[in-house]
Amino acid sequence: MTDLRMPTIHTAGLAAAEAAINGALRLSPHSVEALKELAGQVLALECTRPALTVYLSSEKDGSLRLQGVHDGPVATRVVGQLEDFAELARAEDPAAALINGGVQLQGSSATLIDMQRVFGAVDIDWEAPLVDGLGDIAGHQLAGMLRGAFDWSQQASGNLRRQVGEFAVEEARLSPPRLALEGFYDDVQQLSERGERLEQRVALLRQRLQRLQDS
Amino acid sequence: MSDDNTTHFGYREVETDEKSGLVAEVFDSVASRYDVMNDLMSAGIHRIWKRFTIELSGVRRGNRVLDIAGGTGDLAAKFAPMVGDTGAVVLADINASMLRVGRDRLIDRGVPGNLFYVQADAQYLPFPDGHFDCITIAFGLRNVTDKDLALRSMNRILKPGGRLLVLEFSKPRNPLLSRAYDAYSFGVLPVMGRLVAGDSDSYQYLAESIRMHPDQETLRTMMEDAGFERCDYHNMTGGIVAVHRGYKAQG
Repeated sequence: MTDLRMPTIHTAGLAAAEAAINGALRLSPHSVEALKELAGQVLALECTRPALTVYLSSEKDGSLRLQGVHDGPVATRVVGQLEDFAELARAEDPAAALINGGVQLQGSSATLIDMQRVFGAVDIDWEAPLVDGLGDIAGHQLAGMLRGAFDWSQQASGNLRRQVGEFAVEEARLSPPRLALEGFYDDVQQLSERGERLEQRVALLRQRLQRLQDS
Repeated sequence: MSDDNTTHFGYREVETDEKSGLVAEVFDSVASRYDVMNDLMSAGIHRIWKRFTIELSGVRRGNRVLDIAGGTGDLAAKFAPMVGDTGAVVLADINASMLRVGRDRLIDRGVPGNLFYVQADAQYLPFPDGHFDCITIAFGLRNVTDKDLALRSMNRILKPGGRLLVLEFSKPRNPLLSRAYDAYSFGVLPVMGRLVAGDSDSYQYLAESIRMHPDQETLRTMMEDAGFERCDYHNMTGGIVAVHRGYKAQG
């Protein structure tokens, strides 16, 4: 169980975050449906710096629940520092980010990847609350403007990211190409596995040597 | 209890048999405005204290939960969807007015049909041995005449390994906070009670009963004496409130 030094503040923070997230989710019916399918699975996010553990689970009605204490089975536990979690949340390919990132995973990765996909695909429908508040005509027009601005900003940020990436790789040669980088990660992974195997073999040989010396 | 025949009602020493009637008068008087007053007095923080208690409960689908002194049903309303169709939640209160307000409120909110209402005295709980997975009592234990008897009664009806959670006002750990809290309790609360609920005496009793309630360590010892094991507590808001947890021994 988590050792909570300031349970009131911790719980209040989670309650506020939960209310905000569920408020946003209500405007994204597609995400609510996706969360319903994950009902009952608990995902533990254990941040080591700053020290904070949050348990995420979804309810049958598609709402999200955030807890500071959970006394029961956990499908997936993810351990890492705050920047590792931020990187994972931003990743376009969560599976690759899990393998290459700084987080440690215990249990099934499926819950984490499903959850990340749900939040990555949140598509807020601003029209319903705006129409409720401003009436049909003004609400619809404002929602259309907001949608247009949001689409444009997404497109612009995507273009900018792609152009900066191309410049960094092709022109300035600040970064190796993606394929070369992935090949390098594979090599590092293999080297790490070989290192571990070698370590085990050395330990085994040491034990044998010790037994020979004893006899 | 003070001795065999008397006990305290706030700062007053009263006959043991008299206390439950006096407490009943207090809650009859405040029942209709209970939720509003709770929000006002605690600035809404009582919801956070209750939420943390629910997190500590570890209640899951299929469990049987008893919420003693459940008042207007804050905890029971949260537990009902957690235990689902296969579980059950019992909202118990000794006071008929509080129970009626709680029942009406929960029915109006459409809380699931796995919720039952029982008027019961915490000292003599009318349930079979080993019946519940979890028992909670939030801001109720200090009003019970014989707390030891009530804790033993709760222990009896818990399943082995089941847990008791006592959420109750306690003793602030910081002397400065303690002084500020005293000034608030005896200066502001009765005035607030008079203005909002039209009853300052009940809120004067509230402040006094909090001061007479056992502190964190004493309550933990009382729970251990009643047969609970692995007892611990979490202070909240500087110790103004503490939630104690204990488990019924296995087998």
